Amino acid sequence: MSETAQQMARAAKQRWHQGGRARRRQILDRIATGASIAAGTLLVLVLLSILWTLLSRGLAGISWATITHSMGPPGSGGGLGNAILGSIIQTGLALAMAAPLGLFCGIYLSEYGGKHNHFASVVRFVSDVLMSAPSILIGLFIYQLVVAPWGHFSGFAGAVALAVLAVPVIVRTTEDMLRLVPTSMREAGAALGAPRWRVILSLCLRSARQGVLTGILLAVARMGGETAPLLFTSLGNQTWSLRLDKPMASLPVAIYQYAGASYDDWVQLAWAGALLITCGVLMINIIVRLSARR
Amino acid sequence: MNRGPTTLAEDVADSGGEAALAVKDLNFYYGDHHALHDITMDFPARQVTAMIGPSGCGKSTLLRIFNRMYDLYPGQRATGEVMFDGVNILENTVGLDVLRARIGMVFQKPTPFPMSIYDNIAFGVRLHERLSRAEMDERVQDVLTRVALWSEVRDRLKAPASGLSGGQQQRLCIARSIATRPEVILLDEPTSALDPISTARIEELLDELKEEFTIAIVTHNMQQAARCADRVAFFYMGGLIEVDTADRIFTNPRQKQTQDYITGRFG
Repeated sequence: MSETAQQMARAAKQRWHQGGRARRRQILDRIATGASIAAGTLLVLVLLSILWTLLSRGLAGISWATITHSMGPPGSGGGLGNAILGSIIQTGLALAMAAPLGLFCGIYLSEYGGKHNHFASVVRFVSDVLMSAPSILIGLFIYQLVVAPWGHFSGFAGAVALAVLAVPVIVRTTEDMLRLVPTSMREAGAALGAPRWRVILSLCLRSARQGVLTGILLAVARMGGETAPLLFTSLGNQTWSLRLDKPMASLPVAIYQYAGASYDDWVQLAWAGALLITCGVLMINIIVRLSARR
Repeated sequence: MNRGPTTLAEDVADSGGEAALAVKDLNFYYGDHHALHDITMDFPARQVTAMIGPSGCGKSTLLRIFNRMYDLYPGQRATGEVMFDGVNILENTVGLDVLRARIGMVFQKPTPFPMSIYDNIAFGVRLHERLSRAEMDERVQDVLTRVALWSEVRDRLKAPASGLSGGQQQRLCIARSIATRPEVILLDEPTSALDPISTARIEELLDELKEEFTIAIVTHNMQQAARCADRVAFFYMGGLIEVDTADRIFTNPRQKQTQDYITGRFG
């Protein structure tokens, strides 16, 4: 009797064991989990080390003067104030141009550009290509388009270049987010007699507003950190200048100028600028996260 | 009105009152697919007409013709006649905005709009009428009361509608569709996503609503059809097999296919 019980127990063990397959699965599972954790840790470490380097080198360069003084010759105690202001102006102007264009384009692609719409396919393709275009090319393009005919560099040209950079990002996120709005929402709106534009603006865009806003903020973050499109457009400026038809300073270009210099105070300011940009981008990302949670 | 015994033919023809919607020789196509074949039937005013049949039989397709929902999708078209208030609503000259205000629809899954409970109701009303603040308040309270939601939401009218339970959301959607004061309400399996208690409340609601509205409901639930409907239409493979009083369909249908379906032999 107890022998049969033992046999049954052995048979049961065999069934659970599945001829070693269960064990193999377990091992594979551990390897995969381990690899994922290792990759995640590595990524966080890289980010932390960047942050740490920026903080340890940049913090020393940040003072009231960094923000309030304009850039100046080495040893003059200059700051980055004009570059910060220039960045804000150019990014703001670029956003004012890119956001409506990107929004409407995204709405067009999502709501009117079905599978069989060839024009929409072309627009979508061009937008995607533009998104992955090297930003230096966009700078050169705007140089040809705006700077060369005007005969001088300008903050406006810089803003246009940044806008060209931002539009495809906004188009893509707007389209994707609107596509996530269920068909039932559009049908429910139409069933009440709402015209199509009303359904799109009041219902679809409203449901997708969180994601659309996130896309716009990410575009802002991207614009705030770009150097290449500005090199050939707004060039940079050592003094306070609010004129959009004149060369304008920006934080990334200032970092580019200062980081390679052989003056210690300039290098210090470059680190400070890098820290400021990183904090700005970080802040935008945190805002995105917080607003997404609500 | 006291009538003598009727012949079978008269009985079939008698839809129990004036027709709110009169369908004649209606055909429907999804592109090349012929989905509805020569449908002819009436939807009597202020009665509940249920449409039953296995999945894909065309009952939802028929419902979505009545508010021209298919217009949203290129390639879908209907031929024939659906008379509503003296007009064939399949004609291109029919104003869809007005049509959809007069023929409301409630969907399978509750579809609250991304706005407050109050604005969910007001959204549809504002499309068609200019009401003062006080009038709008009154309208909102009125429709919410009628769907038995007022006492549950009166303190949080400004809260997002997405915070309501599934059953409450569906009642809100019904309130929203009666707020534009339609004459007909189309319901496309309105309770299939709801629990039994919420379902029972919606069914009770239909009973009250039919005093004022003509109701067409698509349902998979035979008991629901038996409980709520005055008349029942059985569809199969894009054709109308038979339409009759609910009593007759569930006790003594004329067609064998109907008999087989309601007794669960297929479908």
